[in-house]
This record gives sequence, structure tokens and C-alpha cells, in this order.
Amino acid sequence: MYVDSQQPPWRAIRAFRQDNGALLVHLHIVSGGVLGGDSLALRIDAGPRSSVQITTTSATRLYRHREGLPESMQETTIDVGDEALVEYLPDALIPFAGSRHRQQTVVRLGSGSRFFWWESLAPGRQAMGEAFAYGSLSIQTEVRAANRPLLIENMLLDPARRPLASLARMGPYTHCANFYAFDMQLAGSKWGELEAQLTALCGAASTPGDMMWGSSLIAAHGIVVRGLSISARRIPATLAAVWTMTRRFLTGEEPALPRKVY
Amino acid sequence: MGQRFSRLLNAVLSAPAVPDGLAYPVAFGFAGAHLDLPEEDVAVAYLRQSVACLISACQRLLPLGQVAANCILWNLGPHIESAAVASQNREAICFTPLLELASMRHGSLETRLFIS
Repeated sequence: MYVDSQQPPWRAIRAFRQDNGALLVHLHIVSGGVLGGDSLALRIDAGPRSSVQITTTSATRLYRHREGLPESMQETTIDVGDEALVEYLPDALIPFAGSRHRQQTVVRLGSGSRFFWWESLAPGRQAMGEAFAYGSLSIQTEVRAANRPLLIENMLLDPARRPLASLARMGPYTHCANFYAFDMQLAGSKWGELEAQLTALCGAASTPGDMMWGSSLIAAHGIVVRGLSISARRIPATLAAVWTMTRRFLTGEEPALPRKVY
Repeated sequence: MGQRFSRLLNAVLSAPAVPDGLAYPVAFGFAGAHLDLPEEDVAVAYLRQSVACLISACQRLLPLGQVAANCILWNLGPHIESAAVASQNREAICFTPLLELASMRHGSLETRLFIS
């Protein structure tokens, strides 16, 4: 791993070699969280045929903004080289009351590459009695391959103006999670097989009123799994199960789980 | 839905007007561009079609007659038009995970109300 440059509050902790030969890299925000007006940029460039897993040391906390400060921002760009494999597995995002944040992620996939990504979102500091007390949270995601967009998502969570308890949004649930997998090698006809397996897994993991999961193919080269839950507790284990099934199907290998509580 | 729409339109026009592999709203917009229709008209047509589909589902789920259903659609006309106009200056955003989960799970349910 080469770190071209890094500035506080980012800190990339040295890479560890995993049993499967991939490199494990931890990202750390040394300030403890994201402050109002922060503008963070993260650029990951995985070279051809490289294999890397990137995770964080803990949840990303979005702190309350001081009056008058602009929204905080995190821009992440990930280039997955030809035949490279990248697993981007950050911990949850926790927006504190009064925070306003914009997250933009752009992923560019090379020929024959693979990319696995999960993200989860908490309603706030529940132990403090906060739930959806943040100002706004914008999450923009774009995954492209050969100049073709494979996935474009533009989410805006604006709890005061657009109540999240709406039945179209989150209903009774408070936590949400997304898992994405892209594989530029897999034949189009095989994706349906993976979708059927994940649909069965999602069905088994779902209990209406407690936790709900579902999966769907995207237009080409990928699949998305979404989950909603009333608590953060069971999300990591389900994401790990989804990832394990997907990784096994696409690569024939077991994933190396980051050392977390599942 | 995008694929079905593309194939239907291509069959109607007897030409490969809309490529495969597009999501439904994108395919719909693509078709509008291919037919050289004004953007606003395409947006109105798309929204009206979406609303009509929802009303049609309500007719099967609820005690809602044809007259009442058509009145709803007619009365929503001005709102559909203003939404289409407003969309030109508005960022396209969406956060409806519960609705998406319901759609994802619908295909594998044993009992479905609208099996096609």
C-alpha cells in the first residue's frame, strides 16, 4: 500500500496481509468525528489485479454543527483497476442532532474488476434520546464502468421537512443498510442465480416490524441488498451473511471478515 | 419494467429505438427523445402513467369504482403538470427504502395480489 498524501483528520493505518492474500487497510478519523464545515476527501486507487479490503476503526460520527457553518462534506473516489478486487466496508454513519452532511461517492470499475461495499445509517445517538434530529443528510452514489453508469443514487434525508416515519420511507424502522456487489467478470445469465439465493437469505433474515431485507439486480453487472431495522444490533451479522454468500458465489472464496462484533 | 417497455416500443415502431438494459424511467425518457417529443410533455406522460397505474391498483384493492377513479385522475391533472414543470429546476432525489423493500420482496411472495 502506498499513501500518496494524508492530512488530518484522516489517517490510513498500515496495511495488514490477510489469509487470502488481500491487504486490510483501516481508515481512522483522528478528530473523533466530522465537524461542521469539514470537507473530507478520500481517494482510493486499487491497481490492476490488486486485492484490498478497507474498513474504519469505528462508526463515523457527524457532530452537531455550530450556527452559521456550512454543511460538512465527504467526497470518496474509488478506482478499481482491471481485474482488481476492492471491499469497502465502513462502520455505521451516526448523524448527531443538528448535523448537516453531504456524502458523495464515485466508483469507477475497470475491466474484469470486482467491488463489494456496504454502508449503514443510524438515526442518531439513541442513548441520548436522539432520533432523526439531524438537519439533513445527502448521500450521492455513482458507480460507473467503461463510462457507463451502473448505479446512480441520490438520497436526501431531511427529517424535519420529509418525515422518515412515512410508510414510503422508513415506516416503523430506524436503521437502514445497503450492500452493493459488482462483478465485471460474471456472465449476465448467472446474476439471476445469485439474486435467487440472496432473496432466500433476505426472506429468512426478515421479521416484519423488526427487520426487513430485500435484494434486486441492477441494470447490469451488479446487485443491491437493502435492509431496515428497529435496532443496530442485527444489521452487521446480516450484512456479513449477505457479503459471505455473494463473495462465495462470485469468487468461490470465503470472505475475510474485519475484526468486528457481528 | 424497463426491458419490457423497450421491447414493446421497439416492436410497435419496428425499429431498435430504445436499447435493452435501461431502468423504466430512463427507457421512457429515451423513448421520448427518440420520438423527438418535448421534455416537459414526456415528464407529464410519465407521471400520468405512474399515477394511473397506482389508481388502477387501488381499484382492485379498495371499493373504488371507475367513475371515482377517473375523477381522481382528472383532478390530479393540474398537479401532475405542475410537478413536471417544477422537476426541470429540481434535483432528482429519492429515499424510499421501505417502498423499495416491498417491491424487492413482492416477486418472491407466495400470495400476490397482482400476478402478471
